[in-house]
Amino acid sequence: MSKTQRILALLLAVVMLTGLAACSKPNTETGTAANTSEEPQKEITINFPSIWVGKDSKAGIMSELISAFNQENTGKIKVVVEEIGDYQAYRDKMRTNITTGNVPDVFTFDNASETQLFFRSDKLMDLSSYLNEGWKNDFIASAIKDVTFDNKIMAIPYEFGVTPVWYNTRLLEKANVTEIPKTYTEFFDMCEKLKAAGIAPTSQMTGENAWTSMLWYSQLVVAIGGPDVYKNGFDDPAFLEAAKIMQKMYQYTTKDAVGATAGVSAGHWINERTAIFMNGPWFVGRLKNEGVNNMYDVVEVAPAPVYEGGKGQEGGYIGFIQAYIGAAKQTDKAKEAAVVKFLKYITSPENVKKVSLASGAMFVVKFDLGSADNVEKLQAQMIEQSNKAPYIVPHFQGNVKPAVASEFPQALSGLILGDKTPEKFIEQLKRADSM
Amino acid sequence: MRKTYKDYIGMLVFLLPAIVLFAAFFLYPVGYVVVTSLLKWDGITKATFVGLNNYKLIFTDEVFLTSIKNNIIWALAGGLIQVPLALMIALILARKPRGWKIFRTVYFFPNIISGVALAMMWSAIFNDEYGVLNGLLRIIGLESLQRNWLGDLHSAFPSLIIYWLFYIGYFMIIILAEISSIPETYYEAASIDGASKLKQDLFITIPLCKGSISTCMTLAMVYGLRQFEQVYMLTNGGPANKTSVMVLYLYKQIQNYRYGMANASGVVLIIIGALVIITIKKLFRVEKYQM
Repeated sequence: MSKTQRILALLLAVVMLTGLAACSKPNTETGTAANTSEEPQKEITINFPSIWVGKDSKAGIMSELISAFNQENTGKIKVVVEEIGDYQAYRDKMRTNITTGNVPDVFTFDNASETQLFFRSDKLMDLSSYLNEGWKNDFIASAIKDVTFDNKIMAIPYEFGVTPVWYNTRLLEKANVTEIPKTYTEFFDMCEKLKAAGIAPTSQMTGENAWTSMLWYSQLVVAIGGPDVYKNGFDDPAFLEAAKIMQKMYQYTTKDAVGATAGVSAGHWINERTAIFMNGPWFVGRLKNEGVNNMYDVVEVAPAPVYEGGKGQEGGYIGFIQAYIGAAKQTDKAKEAAVVKFLKYITSPENVKKVSLASGAMFVVKFDLGSADNVEKLQAQMIEQSNKAPYIVPHFQGNVKPAVASEFPQALSGLILGDKTPEKFIEQLKRADSM
Repeated sequence: MRKTYKDYIGMLVFLLPAIVLFAAFFLYPVGYVVVTSLLKWDGITKATFVGLNNYKLIFTDEVFLTSIKNNIIWALAGGLIQVPLALMIALILARKPRGWKIFRTVYFFPNIISGVALAMMWSAIFNDEYGVLNGLLRIIGLESLQRNWLGDLHSAFPSLIIYWLFYIGYFMIIILAEISSIPETYYEAASIDGASKLKQDLFITIPLCKGSISTCMTLAMVYGLRQFEQVYMLTNGGPANKTSVMVLYLYKQIQNYRYGMANASGVVLIIIGALVIITIKKLFRVEKYQM
């Protein structure tokens, strides 16, 4: 080997090693450990991966608010939105980011069962001092408790959701159903009439996280076992009984319900292929925009029926915090202040009101509604019904470990297809819980 | 000639970049996976050493065993159905019938389309309510066969495999390239001796393509073992975990913050993959032919 070749090889090796080293260099622009205190004049960039994009009902108003914030803070703070329109992809990315210590400056999360784990990571900003200055008075007190860990407030509770039953009254009338059912007996009578009229009664799904069916199961579990049912774990007979009712529920749905995704399930309903649906207020915007034949005008929402002999009460609701806003722990005080400024901006009652009126979504931030405010009909019904509700209990997914929530769609599809008995269905959930 | 100390240094310098990359992107991750497979770890809080408990948990989990079984079926289908199908098409196209270039392009075309896009297309084809497949069955009077193809306990897994088996273009091109390198003189001699086209294929083409067939088999079987996106997109392992595969199982463990179990299943996947490659190499001990 000649001398030149050896030098060349050595150079190549050095170049490649430098390349590798460069790969691991932290991103000082948006990284959480950035220290820009020596350059106070530099514009601070806040990285915000957002799920409120694309078809999301809050996408438009959120984009307007963020643009206005950037405009107000030109040259000082810039919020850069990373658009991630898919819920599962968003969750996966946030989970990976937190695990690897690369937490975005601002991000959202929606699973109550994951919050404690995120808080324990020691990678999130402690917002206690800022919220205790009076900011927390803008929020419903119980919501602040949800994000308090070790006496520290570790996130901002934001969007709230209740999940009533949505009825398409036009289709009900076609089946000669004139009243919204109060009990499950009446509910299944109605389903029978709809089926006889050639209308698939309910939208169900076992694909993805089985969202709509998971909400029905949540309603049933509480209707049978009462609002404290989760304290007893899966040994409470309500879980088994609810599984049996779910089997019956799937006799009144579309043929493709097993394996159907949220898109398919919601698609059937907004295209009037099914008459009954279950979802939260964030769906109002989509119903208005995509519902066929002015469907919005013929939809009514109501609390789920009462289960005769059950411990649940009439008007009981399933409700939960649908979005928490988290922020990365910062070492640079200027950046921390900028992040807090942005958080205060998007959670200010004035801006939350704008988002709520534009999208139909509900929030744990308190704001006043005047007679001049154009509140969506369905949103108003949900607010009224949830105010009257004897209890509001979080859904099944928020009450169990992530592993149980993840196993639920598989266990449910097994139950519906006869691969599992209701007892085996419960065993499957118990096993996921114990691993 | 004896190598001097300086020669060894020179060799080392030349090899260094490759060694560094191999260590950084292969040895280190594999070692990390093996070590963390012995931990109870949620990826966020402190991990604890649990020995082989993660392996015990996955091997007593019905879903993991179903996943292994499905992967083995998938790998075997790839090796024993997909590659022979590709070989058959390659043999036909190698005779250059009229329009062979068009067929070659048509067969290869799906390979340049993203797997996710293909999965979405097939999801629509298999749909029970508006799917093309059920529509076709209705038209030809076979309504009784209509079903929710991806939501049925018995048809979900076969549906996943069957559509994938038709994507033979990649292997067909590899084999076709090998066939084109066989000298024409072999066939001329065989023709003079009265060998039919079939005999020429059986006794000249196929033995001389043994190397590329072995490569295709390895690729198809390894692909079957690391299958993920189609299953994730089309069934997410359902219904009732009947279509679960090992990589999907691993992914779900990560989703559930069970990084130790995820990595234990990763180790099992690496071992099975290595066994498959070794077995194929042993089976196809490629002989050297003098051209």
